[in-house]
Amino acid sequence: MEHRTVSPVALSVRRMGPVNWRGLWTLYMKEVRRFLNVFTQTLLAPMVTTLLFLAIFTLALGGGGRQVGGVDFAVFLGPGLIMMAMVQNSFANTSSSLVIAKVQGNIVDILMPPLSAAELTLGISAGGVTRGLMVGAAVGLGMWLFVPLQIHAPLFILYHALMASLMLALLGMIGGIWSEKFDHIAAVTNFVITPFSFLSGTFYSIERLPPIWQTVAHFNPFFYMIDGFRYGFIGHADGSLGTGLVVMALFNLFLWAVAHRMLASGYRLKP
Amino acid sequence: MSVRQPSSPRALLSFRRWQAPAFKRFNRLGLWTHYYRRGVLRFFRFGLELLVGPLVSSLLFVLVFAVAQSERAAMVPGIDLIQFIAPGIILYAIAHTAFENAAAMLVFEKMEGMITDIQMAPLSPLELLAGYALCSATCGLAVGLLVGGAAAFFVDFSSFDASLVIGFAVATALLFGFLGTVVGLWAERWDHYSAVEGFVVVPLGLLSGTFFSVERLPEAFREWIFYNPVFYAIDGFRAGLIGHAESSHTVGFAVLGVLILGLALLGWRLFAIGYKIKP
Repeated sequence: MEHRTVSPVALSVRRMGPVNWRGLWTLYMKEVRRFLNVFTQTLLAPMVTTLLFLAIFTLALGGGGRQVGGVDFAVFLGPGLIMMAMVQNSFANTSSSLVIAKVQGNIVDILMPPLSAAELTLGISAGGVTRGLMVGAAVGLGMWLFVPLQIHAPLFILYHALMASLMLALLGMIGGIWSEKFDHIAAVTNFVITPFSFLSGTFYSIERLPPIWQTVAHFNPFFYMIDGFRYGFIGHADGSLGTGLVVMALFNLFLWAVAHRMLASGYRLKP
Repeated sequence: MSVRQPSSPRALLSFRRWQAPAFKRFNRLGLWTHYYRRGVLRFFRFGLELLVGPLVSSLLFVLVFAVAQSERAAMVPGIDLIQFIAPGIILYAIAHTAFENAAAMLVFEKMEGMITDIQMAPLSPLELLAGYALCSATCGLAVGLLVGGAAAFFVDFSSFDASLVIGFAVATALLFGFLGTVVGLWAERWDHYSAVEGFVVVPLGLLSGTFFSVERLPEAFREWIFYNPVFYAIDGFRAGLIGHAESSHTVGFAVLGVLILGLALLGWRLFAIGYKIKP
C-alpha cells in the first residue's frame, strides 16, 4: 500500500496577510444575506412606510403651493425622508444582528473565527451601510415617481448617504454590544434614534425652531447629515456645508474608535 | 380549590380525591388566566418599551406637525391643525398596539413552540380567541388612555362626547385585536407578520384621514376613502373629541360592527380547526 505524500505546506496553518480578506468578505456577505433573506421586511416595508409619510405630510402640511427653502414642500421633504429611512435601517441592521446573536448565543460564530476587531467592525458596519444605501435607493426610486426630485450636487448626496449610514451602523453596533436584552435596544431605538431622526430637520427647515433650539441643532450630527443630503438635491442648506462634511467625518471616526475598542476588549461579548 | 387542581403531591396520586376539573359553559378561571395573567400582565411587565414607546412616537408626530405646520392654510376652517391630528394619532396608537400585541404574541408562541401550553389548557376555541383578542384590545386601550391623557395637556378637546370616544376607541381596539389574532395565526415567520404590519396596518392607520381632511385628497381618491373602515373609526373618534365629523356615526358603527363580527367568526373558526397550530 502506497503512502500518500502530503506536502508540508498543505498541513501548515493557513497563512493570511495583514488582512483576512476571505473572512472579512464572508462576514460581510453574512450580514447582507441576513437582511436580503427577508427583503419584504427590510427593504419594501421601509419603502412603503416612507412613501406613506410623504403622502400624509404633503397632504397635511403642503397645501396651497407651500414653499420651504425655495422649493415645493414635497421636494423639500423628500430628501429628509430618504435620509430618515436610511439611518433607521442601517441602525436596525447592525443592532438587531448583534443583539439576536448575543441573545441566541451564536455570537461565538463571529468571535471564534480569525477576525481582528478592525475586521469585525468593518464587516458588520459595512453590512449596515449596504442596507442603508439599498433602502435609500429603493425609497429614492419610489419617491421619484411622485416628486420631481432633481440632483444638484451628486457628490454631496453620495458622501452624506455613505457617512450617515456608516454613522448609524456604528451606533447600532455600539448599541447592540451594550444591550443585553431586546428591551434595551428597543429603548435606544425609541428614545434616541427615532427622536433624533424625526426632530433634526427632516420635516421642517431649522429656521422654524426657536433660536435656542437652532443653536442646539448646530451640535447635532443628524442635522448636518440631513441638511447636507438635502443640499445635494435642492441646492439650499440651512447650516454650513463645510462644517457638515467635517462633523460627519470626525463623528464617524470617533464612533469607529469606540466600536473597535468595544470589540477589541470584548465588552459584554466575551466572558 | 380542590376541585380545580390537586392541592398537594399526595392528592395527585390519590385518584379518589382528584377529579377532572368540571367547568360549566365557560372556563372562567382559564379565560381569566389567559386574558389577564398571560396577556395583560405580560404587556405591563414590558411597560417602558410597550407603553412609553407609542407615547414617545405619538408625541413626536404632534411635535413635528406643530413645528412644520403652515401658518396660512388651516386644515379645516376653525380647527387648529394639532387639534385635528391629535385624535387620529391617539386612535392610531390604539390600533397599532392592539394589532401588534395579538399578532406578535401568537407568532412568538408559535416560533418558540410555546403555543402548546395554550392548546393543552382546557380552553374552548372561543375562549382562546377571546383571550388573545380581548387582552390586545385592553392593551391598545391602555396605550390610548396614556397618549390621550398626555395630549389633553396641550390640545383643546372642547366638545368631548364620551359615548362616541369610548365607542369608537373600543371598536377600533377590538377590530385590530381580532385582526392581529387572525394574522398571528396565519403568519409563520416574523417577516410574514411584519409584511402585514407594513403593507396593511400602517397604511390603513395613516391613510385613513388621520392627518388630513377628506377635502385635502385629490378628487379621484375622495370616494375611495369611504370604503375604508378605519376612516370611519378615526372620523367618529375625532367627532367625539373635537366635534368635527365628515361621515355618519351610524354608518361607522355599522361598518366596524360587521367587520369585528366577521373577524371574530373567522378567528373562532381558525382556532376550532387548529389552523397552522395543530399538526
